[in-house]
Order: sequence, then C-alpha cells, then structure tokens
Amino acid sequence: MRDVYVIGIGITSFSRLEYPLVEIAAYPAIMAMKDCGLTKVDHLFVANMGASRLNHQTALASAVVDHLSLCPAGAECIENGPASGASAIKAGYMAIASGLHDTVMVIGAERLREANNLEATDFVASLTHPLAEQIYGVTLPSMAGMFTRLYMEKYGVTSRHLAMVAIKNHDNAMFNKFAHLHEPISFEGILDSEDALTNNPMVADPLRFYDMCPVSDGGACLILASAEVAKKVKRPLIRLAGVGQATDTHCVHERKEPTDLLAVRGAAAQAFKMAGVKPSEVSVAELHDAFTILEIAESEEVGFFKKGQGHIALAEGYTGLKGKLPINPSGGLKAKGHPVGATGVGQAHEIVTQLRGEAGERQVKNAKIGFTTNFGGFGNNVVALTFIKEK
Amino acid sequence: MERHILGYKCRGCGRVWYPNRGVCQDCRGIEFEPVPLPKNGKLLTFTHLHNLAADFEVPSLWLGIVELSNGNRITGQLRIDSPKIGMKVVGKVEPVRQVGYQTHHGMIFYKA
Repeated sequence: MRDVYVIGIGITSFSRLEYPLVEIAAYPAIMAMKDCGLTKVDHLFVANMGASRLNHQTALASAVVDHLSLCPAGAECIENGPASGASAIKAGYMAIASGLHDTVMVIGAERLREANNLEATDFVASLTHPLAEQIYGVTLPSMAGMFTRLYMEKYGVTSRHLAMVAIKNHDNAMFNKFAHLHEPISFEGILDSEDALTNNPMVADPLRFYDMCPVSDGGACLILASAEVAKKVKRPLIRLAGVGQATDTHCVHERKEPTDLLAVRGAAAQAFKMAGVKPSEVSVAELHDAFTILEIAESEEVGFFKKGQGHIALAEGYTGLKGKLPINPSGGLKAKGHPVGATGVGQAHEIVTQLRGEAGERQVKNAKIGFTTNFGGFGNNVVALTFIKEK
Repeated sequence: MERHILGYKCRGCGRVWYPNRGVCQDCRGIEFEPVPLPKNGKLLTFTHLHNLAADFEVPSLWLGIVELSNGNRITGQLRIDSPKIGMKVVGKVEPVRQVGYQTHHGMIFYKA
C-alpha cells in the first residue's frame, strides 16, 4: 500500500449556520484547496448523516462537486451515523493507498439546526434499534445516562469527574475560534451552588445539561494525497499512518459487559498497530466526547489508561492542555460542537493543526503523533485514526 | 389475551436471541423459532430521561435495561418510584409509544 498524507485542511465555525448545506460543505473545501494550492482533485467523499431527513437533500456529493467546479471528479456520500466523518477519511485513505487516486478531498458537512432540538434528538435516535430501543423513547442521551450509572457504580466515577471533563473542554474551546461554545464554566456554576440545578438541570440522570454536547451545524475538509503529490506541496508532512474500524452489537443491552466499548478498543488497536505506534507515544488526542463520560471511557479503551483509571488521570490534570497527554484541545464535541456527520473530519482537522504547530494558544508542545476516535451509534461503529508528523 | 415479547431460538444450538438476528452469533445457524421471553428479571441500569422525542406527551420517562430470568437482556420503560440497580422487576407488555395512528407495544417494568 502507498503512504497517504494530509496536505490541505479547512473548517467552518461549528455553531448555527444560516447558509445552505452545500455551502457549509464547500466553504471548508475552498479553504483546504487554498491551504495546499491544489485546484483539482481526483475524487470527493462527502460525509453527512442528516441531509435527506433534515434538509430534504439527497446525493449531496453530486451537488458539492459541481458547486466547487470540480466536475468530472468522482464524488460520493458516506453515511455511517456519527462516525461518517472518519469513515469518509478511511475511504479516502483506501483510494490513495490502493493507487486508485492520487488526490482525494474528504468533506464532512451537517446542517442539524434546521430542525428544532427535539427533532434533532429524535433524528439522531433513529440510529438505535427500531423495535427493541426506539419504541421505548430511547435517545442517545438516555443510553449515555444508563452507561454512566454503571460506570459510576463500578469504577467510582462521580458527577465531579464528569464536570471536570466539561470544564476542561469548555476552557480549551475558548482558544478555538471555530468552537460552538465560548463559555467558560465552573464547579460553582454547574455543580456546587444553589443555582446549579437551574443552570445545569438533569437531562438523562445522572447526566446533566453540561454533560451533553451541543447540536451544531458545521463543515470540515481534509485533502489527502500520495507521497509524490505531498512532497510537491509546501506544507508540513502529516502522514495518515493508521486506520482502524470495529463494530459492536446494535442493541446496547446485548453487550456482555455493558461498561465495555469493544468497538473503541478494537478500532484503536488496529489504528495503533498499523502506524507502529503505542498509545503511550501519542502527543495529542481528540476523543468523541458527545457525553462527558465518553471521554473518560474512551481514554481507557484506546489504551491511554487502564480500565477504571481514566477519571483519576483526568483529576490529576494528565489530560489537560498542559498535561502529559492533552485530550480534546479543540474543546471536543462537548464545546467545539458536534455536527454529527462532520465531526470525524473536524477531529482530524484539529490533529493536523496541532501536528503542524498552528494551533495558537491551544498548541500542544512538541506534538508529533496524534490520534482520533470517532464513535458511531452508542459505540456500535467506531473509526480510529493515527497521524504522524514527518520531518 | 396476554401479550409477550418474543425471543428467537436458534434451531441449531438452542440459544435465544433478542431482538431477532439473521445469523446466530454462536453457531452461524440461520433458522430460528419465536419463543415468549420471560417477564421477571433484575434491573441492570436505568436513567430518568427529561428530553423526549416530540411525540411523547409526558414530561419525562424512566428507561432501563433488565436481565430476564432466562439470561436475555431487554431495554424497556420503568414504572418504579425509586429504581435501584439489582432490584427485582416484573414486566407487562403495554402501549409504550404512539406514532401517528400506530400504537407500539413493549415491555414496561414494575417492582416485583
């Protein structure tokens, strides 16, 4: 297989965007073409989850490729729930590694806020089992609530640990102009004061409002290329060195050990093995913290910490921006935002920015190896990626 | 007539699956027969959900995962005042969601 490099990146703000979905997809793509100087690519993969249901638009890739005047390049959509973004990067990787293409544009784009919050929650819940979960009113927050209760019981995670994730990621997002939430929060405001229950009400007990990511619009883009193309582009050489993917049962209740996230474990192991990297060598990671508990659980499953130790590392500051292994320096899904189909591309955008040394006030020092986990369903389809900065 | 939730018993190895699947995880068998699932079990975990889909006319719902007496696990709604992990529960098949004119029936668990 051929080596694959990220040569261009672009991103929109993750927030409420008042322009059409095609433009949300096109804007970061134009930024990415400017970033690397390319004006044409061989192929586009467009990751999206909600266009057909929420935006009344199908075949988004066909619209985007023409809007960017990139015809006759091939173009297709990738829909893999909230893991669509990293799945599209994986598709781009395969296209270049195989020799089929030399340049691939991977776009993630979502316009969720066209729907109201209840509709958006119900739409995301459509990835659950229709007859064994959806009919009961199960939503992703409710699954996370049930998972959190077990995690607390088994490993001693507390609401304070969950708040630490939220506070850390809101603080990180203050340094990210593209983040959805620029709102520093404190233990006083969300947990300790008399007003805490008003500021931070229960949503899916034991998870509260500030344990949840916002519903975001947004787009992000990577341009992937072969080594031959990458070496002609005057940008830092960032190699997509490892790609992993694993699945788990559709119904959460069928998992033997409900606190295990086996698809996260499997995807990460593949992405590390392929890159020839150990979890302990990672400089910076973006983990899929749609709910605060997931940052803790995923940090264990990918191999950064032993099972049940993630919350302790968090409390010791190990995963903070100035810690030994910063997790979610972008603000994560929690504060940077979660435009579902675009999220995985947004995570990769942050890692490439960090490895290039272009992250400004949130820059992780000497970042050489980056890692992402993009979590689909409630952990039933997970894609992990490893990136290495080359000299 | 008493309603039941159905499990699917693999004709190859006898393992009961819920919900149904096309291929048995254990023996790769592809033939299954429907069998009623038991209604007694213990509560494995639960949540009190306050942000519901628009078609629910209640402000909140208790949801849980129950391990049934035959070892199968099932997701359901709870009608229990103060649920606790590990408590014994018993289910009834009742209306759980109304979507337009369609009434979905499912398992609602009560304290045993």
